[in-house]
Amino acid sequence: MRDYILKRLLQIIPTILMITLVVFAMMHTIPGDPIIALLGDAYSEEDAMQLRQAYGLDKLLVVQYVIWLGKLVRGDWGTSILTSRPVLQDVLLRLPVTVELIALAMAVALLIAIPAGIIAALRQNTWADYTAMTSALAGISIPDFFLGILLLLVFSFALQGLLPSSGWVYWPGTCPNLVCQESVWGNLRHALMPALALGVGRAAILTRLLRASMLEIIRMEYVTTARAKGLANTVVILKHALKNALIPTVTIMGLQVGFLIGGAIVIETLFALPGLGTYGINAIIARDYQQVQGFILLVALCFVGINFVVDLTYSLLDPRIRYST
Amino acid sequence: MAHIQPQTLDSSIPATTPLERPARQSAASASLYAQTMHRLQRSKTALFGLGLVLGLVLVAICADVLAPYSPILNDPAATFQPPSWQHVLGTDQFGRDMLSRIIYGSRISLAVGLSSVLLAVFIGVPFGLIAGFYGGTLDSIIMRAMDLILSFPVFLLAIVIMIMFTPTAGLIGAMKVILAIGIVRIPIYARLVRGSVLSIKEKEYVEACHALGQRDPLILFRHILPNCMTPIIVTGTLSIATAIIVEASLSFLGLGTQPPTPSWGWDLKANVSWIQMHPWLALGPGCAIFLTVLGFNLFGDGLRDALDPRLK
Repeated sequence: MRDYILKRLLQIIPTILMITLVVFAMMHTIPGDPIIALLGDAYSEEDAMQLRQAYGLDKLLVVQYVIWLGKLVRGDWGTSILTSRPVLQDVLLRLPVTVELIALAMAVALLIAIPAGIIAALRQNTWADYTAMTSALAGISIPDFFLGILLLLVFSFALQGLLPSSGWVYWPGTCPNLVCQESVWGNLRHALMPALALGVGRAAILTRLLRASMLEIIRMEYVTTARAKGLANTVVILKHALKNALIPTVTIMGLQVGFLIGGAIVIETLFALPGLGTYGINAIIARDYQQVQGFILLVALCFVGINFVVDLTYSLLDPRIRYST
Repeated sequence: MAHIQPQTLDSSIPATTPLERPARQSAASASLYAQTMHRLQRSKTALFGLGLVLGLVLVAICADVLAPYSPILNDPAATFQPPSWQHVLGTDQFGRDMLSRIIYGSRISLAVGLSSVLLAVFIGVPFGLIAGFYGGTLDSIIMRAMDLILSFPVFLLAIVIMIMFTPTAGLIGAMKVILAIGIVRIPIYARLVRGSVLSIKEKEYVEACHALGQRDPLILFRHILPNCMTPIIVTGTLSIATAIIVEASLSFLGLGTQPPTPSWGWDLKANVSWIQMHPWLALGPGCAIFLTVLGFNLFGDGLRDALDPRLK
């Protein structure tokens, strides 16, 4: 297992380098000269040249990339033009909200998908199956942000503030500054609608997948053997069939993380959550490219990290993976 | 690669006249087509999806005739009008008719959905064909480039590309969105086709083509590509739905086509602040996205089942 983890970690290095290369290329293809923007009305050729030298912008692009990469490794992700604060510090403060949102959305997805997928498979071609599959198709087709708006209309407006329409209350002990509120109940109330909006679409995909896997597994000989041994149906389904049916589900869950990250950016904007998504979108609107760069880098690195964890989970569920790679 | 002697090959190939061969191929493909169409016609959900899609196409083509008002004309005297016979889906903060904006918005959604998938197919498929067919260094270079694109979450990369392009209004703005969504979806088709080619190129008829001295492009595009078409068609149809959602999400964040071009995502973004008092402002564009995506998903599912019933 240790060799497998090491091998996977080594494979991540070129991916991370590629990500930094794309982000660097993006920063250099954005229209407009940052030096002209920085100097504004006080622009003069002489000042511009001095600033270019000071920021190393007069060097070859390859040299600039190596210098920039060195700074990234040392934790210098630049300083925001808007807040004059270190970007790395800002993005790390925003990260827990996004991580909590994604984790809750995934929990919502699993809580819906596992029972729905099992029931749909066990009651194939009955009203329960049709209901689950029709709901799943609707869930896949509804955009996260439109579902979020519908939830807002019902739970915040029609039911007169049953759930808050925007803002965030931190989980106790996670508040990044002195002015925010902390409470378990408040946190869950604020997170419920965003997590539902984000999780329902994923639940729909996982339900369809789990139903297909369960249908295949429950017809296998070892399940028939387990039943022939006189085991209770619940034990056969939950202990013998579900574990194997979950293997493809975990793989797809990993692939869904990319969509969850994208969805989280939109949902955070809709519910005004203080996460990475709103940070990135506000930075894009304000054209603070140091912040934009930090946001994209951190999100992409988190994506790589999550895929790594999913790979490990997959190898734990199916040990053959370790030996075949 | 096994080399077949010309004599052996001659005796192994059934004697057919040039007239017989196309007739046989045509009969076989007609049969496959007929079977697929028959299965598709039996699927009520697929037909319902097709109906939704065709309805949307019709609305997009006839927008000039169907829309009761201009989608960009402001009317300060008629802001926030609730649904009525005059304005079936009400008006927005600028007094623009929501129904007209939704009707014209279908053009952007459909154009972006279809064009971005076609772009991804036209670039991704040849890459997948070449990577799978030639293998070796070429395969490694192409697939590492695809891995680079896949190392980013799809939506984040679309955002990055839109930042680089700078979002604008009109046709140019729509083309930028098409490029952004198309580029991020190229690896899907490259990987899909490469996987199919790896198994198809080992088949005997491909070896026979080599033995007959056919050139690689002919083998690739005439003999291998048609056998990869089923997954491409199915994935393509379902991808249109995803592309429409990505376009709407980009517009919702202000990174899609810019106003005054009508866009469902942008309308949702612009009206979200007013939905407590005027909920119809969100329901119209949201339902339009939902029904369009549902249509493509239903049709895509039906098409998949019809083309390969084993997947049902």
